Amino acid sequence: MGAVTVAVLLVAWETAGRVGLLSAYHFPRPSRLAVTIWDLVVVGFPVGVTVWQHVGATIARIVQGYVLAAALAVPLGLVIGGVRALDQATAPVVTFARSVATISLLPLAVAWFGVGERSRVLLIAYGCFWVILTNVVEGVKSVDPELIRAGRMLGSTPRQVFTRVVLPASTPRIFAGMKVALGLAFMVIVGVEMIGTIKGLGALIMEARTFYRSDTAMVGMIFIALFGFALARLLDRLERVLLPWSTGLEAVER
Amino acid sequence: MNQPAATPKIVVNGVSRQFPAADPERGLALQDINLTIGANEFVSVVGRSGCGKTTLLNLIAGLLRPTEGEVCIDGRRVEGPGPDRGMVFQHSALFPWLTAIENVEFGPRNLGVPRDRRRALARELIDLVRLRGFEDKYPRELSGGMKQRVAIARALATDPEILLMDEPFGALDELTRAEMQEELLRIWGARRKTVVFVTHSIMEAIYLSDRVVVLSPHPGRVRREVPIPMPRPRQRSSTEFMAYYEDIHGSIF
Amino acid sequence: MTARYAVRDIWISWAGIAVVLAVWQAIATWGLINPAIFPGPFEVARAAVTLVPLERVLLHAGSSLTRIVWGFSLGAGLGIAIGVASGWYRGLGSVVRAPIELLRPIPPLAWIPMAIIWFGLGEPSKVFIIFLGAFFPVVTNAYKGMTGVDPDLFRAAQTLGLGGWRLLMHVALPASLPDVATGVRVGWSLSFGALVAAELIAADRGLGFMIMNARELGQIGVIMYGIMVIGALNFLTDWLIREALFRRRLRWHFAS
Repeated sequence: MGAVTVAVLLVAWETAGRVGLLSAYHFPRPSRLAVTIWDLVVVGFPVGVTVWQHVGATIARIVQGYVLAAALAVPLGLVIGGVRALDQATAPVVTFARSVATISLLPLAVAWFGVGERSRVLLIAYGCFWVILTNVVEGVKSVDPELIRAGRMLGSTPRQVFTRVVLPASTPRIFAGMKVALGLAFMVIVGVEMIGTIKGLGALIMEARTFYRSDTAMVGMIFIALFGFALARLLDRLERVLLPWSTGLEAVER
Repeated sequence: MNQPAATPKIVVNGVSRQFPAADPERGLALQDINLTIGANEFVSVVGRSGCGKTTLLNLIAGLLRPTEGEVCIDGRRVEGPGPDRGMVFQHSALFPWLTAIENVEFGPRNLGVPRDRRRALARELIDLVRLRGFEDKYPRELSGGMKQRVAIARALATDPEILLMDEPFGALDELTRAEMQEELLRIWGARRKTVVFVTHSIMEAIYLSDRVVVLSPHPGRVRREVPIPMPRPRQRSSTEFMAYYEDIHGSIF
Repeated sequence: MTARYAVRDIWISWAGIAVVLAVWQAIATWGLINPAIFPGPFEVARAAVTLVPLERVLLHAGSSLTRIVWGFSLGAGLGIAIGVASGWYRGLGSVVRAPIELLRPIPPLAWIPMAIIWFGLGEPSKVFIIFLGAFFPVVTNAYKGMTGVDPDLFRAAQTLGLGGWRLLMHVALPASLPDVATGVRVGWSLSFGALVAAELIAADRGLGFMIMNARELGQIGVIMYGIMVIGALNFLTDWLIREALFRRRLRWHFAS
């Protein structure tokens, strides 16, 4: 049923474009988009920069920022979540830092680190960091106390309780946070690629507009959606492999 | 009330219910059910999981339509749910966004009973189920037993002649359960309703009912009907009680 | 939690904020990072007072808020309408779900070029981007809420004499309100990010413009000030939404 709807919409769009109801500039027809995809693969836009280079640049930035954020946020979150006073002390700062729209840091990052790669990766890392941190802290705090008591009764030392009970029990929430952070990374990447680079899917769509190539901009959007979707699926798959026992949890989104 | 009453209140006449399924055998939840329940009678339906107890209740409620046969109330064919039949669910199904008393008022409000009248009615029912002081609590602030009390009050609020109860005490702990059984008998005595009570517990069925209907599974059929003419209050430890238990237990297993 | 604990917690929280500010100031004062590009809290405060008059900030904040209120109301409104309708009417749901699911993975910011092509550089394109930020989370959560209602609630309502559209009004809608509220909050935060991005790209007023302009003038203190104003605005409005929605209307759903 869904596929039928989409097919009908595409045919209607194509027909409306052919009979002149939709302008070719404002709504490039699906057939035109198909040609553009082909051009992007073989010729590239700007000429010489193929879509794979754009995708590669975007993914590289996301992965670097994301991994950096996770590498810092997970251990820090485990400590904060485990120490009540630390959680109390950091809560307002964390809440405020999370409220700061990552994109609003762009001018500051440019002033500090220039318009190069470092700014982009660090901004992605900033956005992801707070989301992951919040979820790790929440994950540790919401471990069922009965599990902890069970661990202690079964002879675990306090350290073992942490590594063998608290840590595994909080992984579903950590994973949920990682998924939200990935979505955020895809939001931020488009913004940070809009200045100072011609490589990356965000740069591609902004460049395309500058040259009045609405078809290329749309194809760029399609690729962003496709890769965002694919990476999200990959994380889902990874979660099922790594945490087959988990029933799935919703992240703390704010 | 120990004999099936002369005037039939509920007549289940040759009812079968088929659910859509790849294998029609498995989809057949109930087959050729015939059951007559008298006015003010207390009938329990017992059987193993998946024998169609809840389906039977939903058919009487009018929430489901029979594939074959018909259900009649007072000689009129059931076409849909109505406020003449109140229902109590296993997990209370209270509206979580309404307070206890607002839940009780839900039915009268649907019937257009004016605000003052339905508030007074709800208060009376809250008293009946002994929840005075908890009127303004939300369901999540109530214990399991209290929720079921509210659910019973809510089902009574439209003054139905029939009370349909789907394992209403199944999720309660044993002490609360015993307490709720007493409460139900007391309310039944005070309000004279026809009760159809679905349960897993044979003890509960014998303790409460005038008659126990045993269903067999796959497809659900009436295997036996056992009248329980013991006077109330009943002694669970009496030899007579245990004899009924052994009898019914034996016909299920 | 006892009152004494609560008081202690507040002190710890303030201490946390104080430590962050102190470290920040120390780095700037001792020049660990070039103070020209890393002003401390005092310098930021001084820049805020001397370089941008308060009424200018309020004006910028006003135009930002106007944009977001427009975009967000349209997005959340349409999101609730479509989410509820597609959750209630199965036929409609099976038709509109697929296109929505296909468009959902496109980040709002990626629509900026097309928004400019469609609506030009003026207000409508910014409102459109903000609209997208709100629409997708709200429509998804509203649909999820509508389709996830405990069927026993419908059965209970039916046995109590409710049917037809009154089931929608008195059971399905209130039951899905918690999910709608979640969608509204997520949508608000995405709208906020979209707002700032839209204002960075092309605007002559608004908080995003204010920090972009400050960058061109090399006023790092003003950039930081602007970032904090944006953050504070986001924090405050989110808090207001939470209070308005979650505490009052949804008191039944959330921990007292």
